[in-house]
Amino acid sequence: MRVGVVGAGVVGARAAEALVSLGADEVVVHDERPEVAAALAARLGGGVRVGDPLGSGGRDDAGGGGIAGAGPCEAVVLATRAPQRELAVRCIGARIPAVTTSDDAGDVLALLGLDDAARAAGVALVVGAAASPGLTGLLAARLAAGMDEVDEVHVAMHGTGGPACSRQHHRALAGQSVGWHDGEWLRRPAGSGRELCWFPEPVGGRDCYRVEHPDPLVLKRAFPRAARITTRMSATRRDRLVARLPMMIPPHAEGGVGAVRVEVRGRRGGGRGTEILGVAERVGQLAGIVAAVAAATIVRGGIGGAGARVLGAPGSPHAEMLAWVESLGVRVQEFVGSEG
Amino acid sequence: MKFLRRVMLAVGLAGAVAGVLRVKGKGTVAQRRGGWRSHTPRS
Repeated sequence: MRVGVVGAGVVGARAAEALVSLGADEVVVHDERPEVAAALAARLGGGVRVGDPLGSGGRDDAGGGGIAGAGPCEAVVLATRAPQRELAVRCIGARIPAVTTSDDAGDVLALLGLDDAARAAGVALVVGAAASPGLTGLLAARLAAGMDEVDEVHVAMHGTGGPACSRQHHRALAGQSVGWHDGEWLRRPAGSGRELCWFPEPVGGRDCYRVEHPDPLVLKRAFPRAARITTRMSATRRDRLVARLPMMIPPHAEGGVGAVRVEVRGRRGGGRGTEILGVAERVGQLAGIVAAVAAATIVRGGIGGAGARVLGAPGSPHAEMLAWVESLGVRVQEFVGSEG
Repeated sequence: MKFLRRVMLAVGLAGAVAGVLRVKGKGTVAQRRGGWRSHTPRS
């Protein structure tokens, strides 16, 4: 397995680590800051090299290394800041399957719009393979497997990964949220609709609000018959107050423990049921692992067919993918009881 | 002009109060019954 990773930040580094754990023969890392990519390759060692996953087929930038005679990468993880559309177009042009990790609503919409181009090129383009969207689709699919029909999918998230994720969180609170509601997309001001959501410990209860987030766009592809799909994100009062101002405090290098929570409502055995799954982990770690698992699944032929794909969609090997994610140390928990 | 100043003062005061309430507002913690446990997928 020969996989490229573009972007050696928090998510890219975690993706490279996860790919090594998944048995990748070679991981070709690229970053616009060469010293960052070199430091990552030096830290992980083994089959992790610096190179251009799209151009030189992964040969070492310094002229040495790489697998002699090896072809181009079998898949590429895009772990750069949004937008990732331009890179995805380059991957499609090079006929290399790509896994995108963007959490920007406009960018994700543009990536989903590359469906025809990816089909024409005969490659898979996995859109939104991170924590949210990404892991949320896998969790929702696991819950949906136990139901006759899914009516509603509600996602909540706490925490951020690296600096780019933190900036996106800031922007998301100032935009317009989109949610699927009884057959139409509803737009609401981000920062509204407070709801107390309980996440797995150590995160616990957090006030969550509507945000400009791509998860409903992605989940609608995975669950086309669902009547309601929403996403909320935790925020403090200060976050909401300053959301429409420029980000005055530089973002942290990496956020602390975050959490993802997915609630699925639907029909089961003649009645209605609600199931909730959650994960508490560093968001960058979750995103990197999910992206790596998506890339490995492509290489092993698990994501059949060309075109824009989302995690959790019917026909995708979501059960196997989530099992892989769990095997890399992610602990999935279920909520038992009631909230009031 | 006097009217305009009064309107601006009122809007400014209202904005300041709203900002303080938004940052320092009283939060309540809801009761929770239940908890999280490790999930095992149904076979």
